[in-house]
Amino acid sequence: MAFQILLNFVLALVWMFLSHSYNPTSFIVGFLLGMLILLSFRRFFNTRFYMIRVWAVIKLILIFIKELILSNIAVLKVILKPKLDIKPGIFALETELKQPWEITTLANLITLTPGTFVIEVSEDNKTLYVHAMDLNDDIQSEIDGIKNTFEKAIMEVSR
Amino acid sequence: MKTNDIILQTATKVIAFVIILFSIRLFFSGHYYAGGGFVGGLMTSAALVLIMIAFDMKTVEWILPINYRFLIGIGLLTSVSTGLIGVFMGDPFLTHYFGYFDLPILGKTSLHTAALFDLGVYFVVVGVTMTIIKSIGESE
Repeated sequence: MAFQILLNFVLALVWMFLSHSYNPTSFIVGFLLGMLILLSFRRFFNTRFYMIRVWAVIKLILIFIKELILSNIAVLKVILKPKLDIKPGIFALETELKQPWEITTLANLITLTPGTFVIEVSEDNKTLYVHAMDLNDDIQSEIDGIKNTFEKAIMEVSR
Repeated sequence: MKTNDIILQTATKVIAFVIILFSIRLFFSGHYYAGGGFVGGLMTSAALVLIMIAFDMKTVEWILPINYRFLIGIGLLTSVSTGLIGVFMGDPFLTHYFGYFDLPILGKTSLHTAALFDLGVYFVVVGVTMTIIKSIGESE
C-alpha cells in the first residue's frame, strides 16, 4: 500500500522531468498516468490496488459526516419533546476488530450514532460497553444493524 | 542451478513502471519531438520483456491477461477507422483533423486525429513484438 503510493509519486516526478514542465499540471497528469499504469499492473503487487483503500476511507468519512448530522437531529428531537419518555440503558457489543485504531474509529462512530455512546472498552479489547439513550428491543436490533455497517466499512479499509 | 533473483526482481518492480511511463512520453511527443507510436510500442514491450526476464512468462500472463494477437487486430482496426473518418466527412481517405480544446487540467491542448492513428500503430507494435517473443519463448 505505502509502496504503491510512493511509486505513484515517483512516477509523477519522473513525468515532470520527462516533459520539462515543473508545474502542478504536469504533476497531476503524471500522477494520473502513473495511477493508470499501476491499475493495469495491480496484480504485480501482493497487496490490493491502493485506490480501493483510499475509496474505502472516503466512504468511511462520508458515513461519519452523515451520522454526525443525524445524531444531532435525533438529540434535538428528544430535547424539544415536552414529555421525557426515554428508557436509558447500557449494553455490551462484541467486536471483531483487532487494531487499536480500528476500535477507536468504531467507538467514535458509535458515539456519533443517534442516541448511543461508548463508555468503556473491555480489558481484552473485544467488548464495547455502549450507553443508549432510548433502549428497547426494536432499537437494539436496529443499532446492531448500524454497527454492522460501521464495522464492515472499517474492515473494508484495513482488509 | 537456481540462482536468487531478488535484486533483479525488486529493481524490476520500480524500473518497469518508469520504462512504461517513458514509453507513454515517447508516444505523446511524436508530433513535435522525436518519438511516436512505433518506438513507444517497442519501449512498452521492452518493459514487459524485462518483467518476463526477472520473473517468468506465467507471471506476466497473470499480471496482464491479454491475448496479444487480439491487440494486433485492435490496433489495425483503430488505424483504419481513423483513416475512414475522412471518408465519412467527405474528404479523401486518411485526411486528418485537428483543433484546440480547453481541457479541465491540461488547459489549452491541441488534439489531432493522427494521435489515434499512432495509437493503432502502438497497439500493433506491442502485439507483434509480444507475440514473437512469447511464441519463441514458449516453444521447447
